[in-house]
Amino acid sequence: MNAINTEMEVGELLAEQLARLFSERVTHQALTRVEQGAFDQVLWGDIEQLGVVGALTPELAGGAGLNWTQCAAIFQTLGEHAAPIPLAEAMLATWALGRAGIEADTTRLTVSSAIFEIDTNGKLHGADSLLPWAAHAQSVVAIAKAGDDYRLCLFLIADAEINSLQTIARLPSSQLIARGVTPQINVPAPNIFGPLGLQPALATARATALAGTLARMLELTIEYANTRSQFGKTIGRFQAIQHLIAEFAELTAAAQVAAAFACRQFDRGVDASERGAAVAKIRAGQSATRAAMIAHQVFGAIGFTDEHILHFYSRRLWQWRSEAGSEHWWAEWLGQQTLAAGGDALWSGITG
Amino acid sequence: MSLPFRYPPFSIPTEFDALRREVREFLNEAAKNWSGWDLGHSWMAFNREFSREVGRRGWIGITWPKQYGGHERTALERYVVVEEMLAIGAPVGAHWVGDRQSGPLLLRIGSEAQKQRFLPGIAAGELAFCIGLSEPGAGSDLASIRSRAERVAGGWQLNGRKVWTTYAQHSDFMIGLFRSHGSPPLDVNKGTDKHKGLSQFLIDLKTPGIEVRPIRDLTGEAHFNEITFDDVFVPDDLLLGQEGEGWAQANAELAFERSGPDRYLSSFPLLAPTIDAVRADERSDLPATNDRLTARRIGEAVADIVTLREMSLSILGRLADGETPAQEAALTKDLGTTFEQRLPEMVREIREQLPVRDDSQALSAMHVFLTETTPTFSLRGGTREIMRGIIARGLGLR
Repeated sequence: MNAINTEMEVGELLAEQLARLFSERVTHQALTRVEQGAFDQVLWGDIEQLGVVGALTPELAGGAGLNWTQCAAIFQTLGEHAAPIPLAEAMLATWALGRAGIEADTTRLTVSSAIFEIDTNGKLHGADSLLPWAAHAQSVVAIAKAGDDYRLCLFLIADAEINSLQTIARLPSSQLIARGVTPQINVPAPNIFGPLGLQPALATARATALAGTLARMLELTIEYANTRSQFGKTIGRFQAIQHLIAEFAELTAAAQVAAAFACRQFDRGVDASERGAAVAKIRAGQSATRAAMIAHQVFGAIGFTDEHILHFYSRRLWQWRSEAGSEHWWAEWLGQQTLAAGGDALWSGITG
Repeated sequence: MSLPFRYPPFSIPTEFDALRREVREFLNEAAKNWSGWDLGHSWMAFNREFSREVGRRGWIGITWPKQYGGHERTALERYVVVEEMLAIGAPVGAHWVGDRQSGPLLLRIGSEAQKQRFLPGIAAGELAFCIGLSEPGAGSDLASIRSRAERVAGGWQLNGRKVWTTYAQHSDFMIGLFRSHGSPPLDVNKGTDKHKGLSQFLIDLKTPGIEVRPIRDLTGEAHFNEITFDDVFVPDDLLLGQEGEGWAQANAELAFERSGPDRYLSSFPLLAPTIDAVRADERSDLPATNDRLTARRIGEAVADIVTLREMSLSILGRLADGETPAQEAALTKDLGTTFEQRLPEMVREIREQLPVRDDSQALSAMHVFLTETTPTFSLRGGTREIMRGIIARGLGLR
């Protein structure tokens, strides 16, 4: 038990350092600059210095060798601060490469949750309709199918066609189309990846970030309700508002628990990780939808202005709930699995 | 600022897998005798024969000392037994209150003689308890109860009325909350403390002066009762705990009552037959269901149940460490009962589930009973509004 606690602390320590950095740097102004297309090179440099990019990466590949349970706090911190940097993407890319025994020579990496194809000449084909941070990365790490086998690939973004997209979060995202690209790296996919490729990993990272964003929005909402006064008292004294915020707390707690569950499943193999990702993305996505409405309802018109910071959080909720498979996509996936297994397998599948 | 709730992960150790298999096998066999209507009842089904068998197998009072008929096993083993029972919808009502609430309360604050007298009977599945809290004028505002206990030679004399007492008509004893001194303030703003002066009594329901009147409810059955106390004598040795401390004693149990599997599994027995019915529908010539919607609804239900179970297990772990996570219990209960209420509607959403009780089909009868019972899920054990009030206070809204 003590050993586990000490390990947890390493991840939490990194997350605390990140949180301090973000508290200082991730201002309204900084967020706006990134949303207008700039890349925060200074912030990224500081993050590289912290050594957090390689947190999940095996030590043999130059990383810190932490597991998903330990790194949950890092993903959550990204959400708590709406951090405008591709840290989750770079962490997952170096993790995937590292599990194949490859040490990445750059941190300018992103990951695709799409499955590509490798033809008989070793050329890579396929598309990702929503690839985060492609505009600022050199390379993409993705899983590709070659016949019946899965391959872990890295290819240069410059070798593919990218079209930048206007997203709700306004963070740089692109559509990517690869037509016969020669991958820089093309190795058998490590056994941590199944037919869904990197999607469960990105979905879990996003669900965990959603839980972080929800927690921060809940704090802001409570603070506002205890400050804003109408009809001679703070609005937090009205039972209607209290019950809305209590519901918000329930949604946040459920998202946190589901995300933590998913991270733990990643340390238990492919099947568990796919199922964990589904549970987390469904629960966090549903919570995000309702909680965004509650937060804006409590804040009233001021929360809808550009000047207020609330929109940076609510727009991330609406973005991340859909990335790496929406709550609806994952619900369908989990439902199909459950239906295929039949009623007798339901309860034993839940108790494990 | 930080949020006033946390859910450290907790898993049941694999060493209890054998117990889980044993309980599951027993229940799969026993379930052959239960109708869909029975399964829908779960902890609302009173079946003494079943409770005796569960007691005989050592699955009631699992954690209690052996000297009182218990088995000195862990709270985690109790959780395994209880969640297996509720997942299938076993009729645990005859031992439910004794095992979950009355027994643990007796162990904590009962006198030695009380423990020796009552606990072995509960653990054997022979002695059924009910809880007398609500009154006609005291529901959510429980502390304003008016039923009185007056000091008389050798004991106490009870007068008043209790209502909504589940299965009083079948039970042997009640743990009842009465006002033993003071009076409820007519105006809550006047400053008198209505929480003081309440006491708990162990009441033999066969005592002269007690009248139990079952209340037929929406389902056509009678689960609740109204109980009238007319100069009912309770001897001194059946006062439970301290005179005047009844409020604190009754409240200490609530974290247990609010986070257990009974707060999210009530309609879970529906899900497995629904899955099988959907599979059968798809094989038949019936108009095809919307496959994608069906899968989505079932996937959402599984995600909810997994998350709720994680929350409940986390609270179990903290309770086992001697903590009282009241905030987490309130959050989890409200989420759990919301899920329980949604499940019967989900069944209607994904297949043509007629509002017909067909006893030849387990799903049909179960669905009718659970649809009719859904309103109680967010009433019993503290209403949704009471939960949200507790949560809001915990969040510091003021």
